Amino acid sequence: MPKTVSRLATWLIPFFLILVVHSVHGATEPGISILGEEPPEGFDPLTGERIISNERCLTCHGDEQMKTDVRDDGSEVKIFVHSKQIRESVHGELNCNSCHITIDRVPHRKAPAVIVGCLDCHRETWEEVKDDPDGKHERLKVVNESIDSYMQSIHAQPNSLDQSRTNATCYDCHEAHNVGELGSIQRAEKRLKNPEACGKCHEQQLEDYRTSVHGVAVLEQKDSESAVCSDCHTTHEIDSPETDKAKLAITKNCGDCHEEAQRTYFDSYHGQVHRLGYTNTAKCHDCHGSHKVKGEDDPTSEIHANNRLENCRVCHEDANENFLTFWPHGDADDRENYPGLWFFKLFMQTLIFSVMAFFWVHVLLWLYREVMDRLQGKGFIEDLDKPDIVYFRRFPVVWRWIHGLFAISTMTLILTGTTLLFAHTGWAKAVVVFLGGTEMEGIIHRTAAVIWLGIFFVHLMIAVTNIIREGKDFKWFGSTSMLPNWKDWSDLKGMFRWFIGKGERPQFSHWTYWQKFDYWAPFWGAGVIGISGIMLFAPEKTALILPGWMFNIATLVHAEEALLAAIFLNSVHFFNVHFRPERFPMSTTIFTGAIPFEEFRHDHREEYERLAATGEINNYLVRKPSRRADLAASFITTVLIMAGLALLTLVLIGLVTSPN
Amino acid sequence: MQREKMMKKKMPYLLLGLAVLFPATAAAAPTGQALAFTCAGCHGTDGSSVGPSSPSIAGMDPEVFIDAMQGYKFDERNSTIMNRIAKGYNDEQIKSMAWFFAKQTLRLKPQKYDAEMAKLGAKLHDEYCEKCHEDGGKPGDAGTLAGQWMPYLHYTMEDFIDGRREYPRKMRRKVDAAIEAEGDRAMPALIHYYGSQH
Repeated sequence: MPKTVSRLATWLIPFFLILVVHSVHGATEPGISILGEEPPEGFDPLTGERIISNERCLTCHGDEQMKTDVRDDGSEVKIFVHSKQIRESVHGELNCNSCHITIDRVPHRKAPAVIVGCLDCHRETWEEVKDDPDGKHERLKVVNESIDSYMQSIHAQPNSLDQSRTNATCYDCHEAHNVGELGSIQRAEKRLKNPEACGKCHEQQLEDYRTSVHGVAVLEQKDSESAVCSDCHTTHEIDSPETDKAKLAITKNCGDCHEEAQRTYFDSYHGQVHRLGYTNTAKCHDCHGSHKVKGEDDPTSEIHANNRLENCRVCHEDANENFLTFWPHGDADDRENYPGLWFFKLFMQTLIFSVMAFFWVHVLLWLYREVMDRLQGKGFIEDLDKPDIVYFRRFPVVWRWIHGLFAISTMTLILTGTTLLFAHTGWAKAVVVFLGGTEMEGIIHRTAAVIWLGIFFVHLMIAVTNIIREGKDFKWFGSTSMLPNWKDWSDLKGMFRWFIGKGERPQFSHWTYWQKFDYWAPFWGAGVIGISGIMLFAPEKTALILPGWMFNIATLVHAEEALLAAIFLNSVHFFNVHFRPERFPMSTTIFTGAIPFEEFRHDHREEYERLAATGEINNYLVRKPSRRADLAASFITTVLIMAGLALLTLVLIGLVTSPN
Repeated sequence: MQREKMMKKKMPYLLLGLAVLFPATAAAAPTGQALAFTCAGCHGTDGSSVGPSSPSIAGMDPEVFIDAMQGYKFDERNSTIMNRIAKGYNDEQIKSMAWFFAKQTLRLKPQKYDAEMAKLGAKLHDEYCEKCHEDGGKPGDAGTLAGQWMPYLHYTMEDFIDGRREYPRKMRRKVDAAIEAEGDRAMPALIHYYGSQH
């Protein structure tokens, strides 16, 4: 045993000695050494590279007496660097050759290539410091985001005339030695220099800008708060101004300063289309001019009274003088400047609020009453032992078709119209993309509008023909007439009494008061929406007879009335017809044309009694609709209800998220 | 048999000795310092020359040293015998010697000079040379002028002016300007100025 130990030790000791000697040998060489020589003073002990002090560089480059040098070809080159500026800049603590990495000898043995790569250094530095808890490098994160934006920009693309270089790089815009921290004097100075920096390449644009209100403020009055190039075009995410992305960004950026103008613009048709992400509409610079933007009092301004019509005619070729009275930034909330618009908005909103408030209270009370009645076993309850066999024919075929087409066209109009009204929402943008853009959406909206109005007039003709056919027998305020009468008023009061448990449910005639409301509402709607819609349909024709501000009024009332219809039909109408407990989940009568006899007797008791007394009731009794007809009606009704509820949801999302 | 056993027993110790010594033996190639000893014949002990036409290379900027050696090695720089000598060294050896000499203290010997000329030379140096040859031409990244042997400086400037040595364009501009300002006195004046420093 001791022998084994000693033999083991004999092998282990040398092994450990080797380890120790080698590790000691290694530990004595922390830096670079060549043939036993380590770098002398002034050279990096780890790499052996020369350490070039900034002072050494500034011996020549900081000499104010000699700011230029001459190249081999005889051309002059600026070599001066303001040493104080660079010390005070964000890069003040760096060595010159941290950025000027090609400089390894001073004095330069050959004319040096000025190669500076900002990107990698900022990216690598951010990678190193991004987890620092003190957060003092947060700005570097912004720099890196800017780099990412720049890399996607037109400036980072290869130059078409010289593909070995990009269109522009960091130091074309940033004064390399004078990059100030946020809030520093350099930043304010840099803003003032921004137009000149861009103008080095974009010369014509700079000349135009000099004449603009922005240019005069910045370049002559040294007002760093006024707009410089990057305020509109963005700093790093620069795109060709011909792209939609750039046009959208520019409009958005105008609004950063001109908030009110942008708000009112977005309320206009032009602004709504633009906000959906489409640029084939009037944008800020289309009317105001881009680089030459000037106030309306300046005779050379594009929005000066003398030049404005020409401006409109760029898009509206047949625009006449009446276009000049259009309010491109009309504000319905500004009573002082736009009293007409203000009044119409007040009127329409009062109408919407009062109608909706009344009917939503009506809905809630009705729901409460029916639920309470059902809990007590009262109300109309289907008798399962006596299935419906006999039905009452309530609607002839023509009315069923008219209602179906009317519902589909109304929903189409709501969908396509509210995308403009709620252009700020994501769903509106998605719908427009789905439909194929704003132009296609316009075609769909107008087609649906023609169908809608066509149906309305066809219905009117049929109704008038029916009245004429009946002649003297037609009772204007009879039970089958749609005209409101005193019974409707007493039914309404009776219903409210029933709601609160103070009376019996009224016995209704052929048409109830809420059905008459549903019927007459489209008359009002057709008037308001139809007339305003036709005006907006063909603006050049409208302007032949009406002043331009009528477009503002028309846009406003068209939208408000549509909103009322959208909310009313898809909530109140749906409840009255489909969702109240006696009918839930739906009534298919408008598609089958027939209502179960017992249900008719319950809902229209007075009419039933009148018909029963005269014996006319037999003329209306029909067989239960076939199973196939029943299924088809259920299917169509379900689809329309689901579509309506979806539209209601979208409209409510739009209203709740509306920035105004 | 007995001997074989003995050998077997001693083998670990032999291996131990070899292993311990190995790192030392591996580094036993000629050091920069050892190589530099051979320069002493002309350039003086540790590079401080005693001769009038061999320059002092103690304290010399290592990159200037490497430039010179590579220039000689590839016959790009005029020389008497340095082009032959330089060919005997590889890049690593040249760099090691460069670092060695850079760390040596330059010991200067007084030279005879004309005080008037040195004064003029100081003025010219300040105006035309100081930016590159900092601190009156003390050893630096543009070579060693201060205290350098005057005959060596004289021959070297002749090489530049007569086109035997690549003339840095900036240096040419400055030298031309100095000559334009002070004529034929310019070069001697500068050489006297550098010779006056020790």
